[in-house]
Amino acid sequence: MECEYISTLHIERGMVPEERKSNNGLIISFEDRTYSYLNCKEPAIQNINLAISPGEIILIAGPSGCGKSTLLRSINGLIPHMYPGNSSGKVSIDGSSVDETSITEIAKKVGFVFQNPENQIFMFSVERDVAFGLENLGLYHEKIREQVDWAIQLLNIEKLVNRAPHELSDGQKQKVALAGVLAMKPRILILDEPTSLLDPFTALELVEIIKKINQNLGVTILIVEHRLDLLINAATRIICMSKGKILFDGEPRKVLTEKKLPRIGIGIPTITRLHRILNEEKPVFGKIPLSADELATNLKLILK
Amino acid sequence: MQWIAQGFIFRRITSPFHQLDPRVKLLVSIELFTLSLLVGSLPEVIIALSGIFAIASISKILRRISRTLTYTLFFAIIIFSINILVGYPLMDAFVIAVRFLAIVGSTSIFFLTTPPDELELVMKWFRLPRDIVFAFVTAVRFVPVLMMDALQIMDAQKSRGLELQKGNIFSRFRRFIPILIPLIVDAVLRSGDLAEAMEARAYGAVKKPTSLYQLEIGVWGKVATILSITLIVPLAYLFLFLM
Repeated sequence: MECEYISTLHIERGMVPEERKSNNGLIISFEDRTYSYLNCKEPAIQNINLAISPGEIILIAGPSGCGKSTLLRSINGLIPHMYPGNSSGKVSIDGSSVDETSITEIAKKVGFVFQNPENQIFMFSVERDVAFGLENLGLYHEKIREQVDWAIQLLNIEKLVNRAPHELSDGQKQKVALAGVLAMKPRILILDEPTSLLDPFTALELVEIIKKINQNLGVTILIVEHRLDLLINAATRIICMSKGKILFDGEPRKVLTEKKLPRIGIGIPTITRLHRILNEEKPVFGKIPLSADELATNLKLILK
Repeated sequence: MQWIAQGFIFRRITSPFHQLDPRVKLLVSIELFTLSLLVGSLPEVIIALSGIFAIASISKILRRISRTLTYTLFFAIIIFSINILVGYPLMDAFVIAVRFLAIVGSTSIFFLTTPPDELELVMKWFRLPRDIVFAFVTAVRFVPVLMMDALQIMDAQKSRGLELQKGNIFSRFRRFIPILIPLIVDAVLRSGDLAEAMEARAYGAVKKPTSLYQLEIGVWGKVATILSITLIVPLAYLFLFLM
């Protein structure tokens, strides 16, 4: 029901349904994209080629300064519109070139949750902040109310609606920031290190919400995250970056077999590390486990 | 310092006055402000202050307004001293100083009972440009954040041996430089993040953005408006021409 509503909404906003587009069903595509910030000789991202289909959950990993944030900002148009620099190649969202589309137009399709939730809550009450993007789009009062209530219910933050930002914990702020973005019903959701300020319990709670959004609404999700353990089980694909380039891109199990990962500064999940150590001793283990349950199943098979 | 910081943070309180339309609260505040400007004798000052404290009491902000007036007392003393120095009689100097307190109190009533969201709606109602309104709301929204940042920086610098309480006023001011610089840098970086987040949420997509909340005076708002005008207009007339 919700997915149907989203597709109707996008058609209402003048977007062309996917099958009528000449983008081969891709929602995001990078074609040989290179970008360097003004006054910087070294490009922040180099020759990026990327094809992302609708409904994927993509985990982007890499050491600090490897170009993850630049890659994300290239998707929602902050690059090159807000950060003009030297760029070549092409980035397309839903068939439209990012370079030729305004940020506000892209904002209707791409939701961006930044690392620090404090800096993306503008209004003095939670409810009002969730409505911020919708007010900017000039939607009718009734429509704003409907979408705000929907987002608040989805994130289960009904009790917080009248609270001021300074009365919220970091986890609550992150949920409010996410609700504000989801209220705009984007087709793509970008999360830049969403768990960096959260305790393990709240981080797990957020991961469950992310899975729910992807499964129930079909939203394509891109997440930059250092704690791979948290999201590896939810991701359909991992992209590993280093020095502005994509080194590995593929299914989590395939990428995690790469022995270079620790050398480029990507901490592999504990379960995967344990699997590697055990496999070195006795190479009889099956596929790489992505969760404790999978590892337990593998171990049980060996012990039998 | 924490105590001062708390004074800048708006708190939502449920009171009959808080629930009024912000335009009615603004009207009451302007009426009390005008009355405070018109006072010229001790009985008049007492009447104006009584009105302010009565509204503060209904609004359950008596303690907060007292705190604001305590800060203002320093300036009131300066005003009193200057008036004495230039040759005003003691009672006149006292009335002028207390009038200053009444003026501050009357404006505080509006700001202590109106959340910035409502303030934004009032500003929009006055057809102020959207960017100015948003800049104002954001500034108010980030006052508690910057205050908390300042306290954190202060604690960090103190733990490195910075002594803020030592020396005369000039050396104390100089000692605040290691706090001000990181605070300014932090605020500048924060403004960059804010700008990005605004763009990402379609700020400026349409010329006339809509609003979740709409202003509505309601029955109690109308009653409060009539009641306040009925009380204040005769009082103002009395202060101007009869007392």
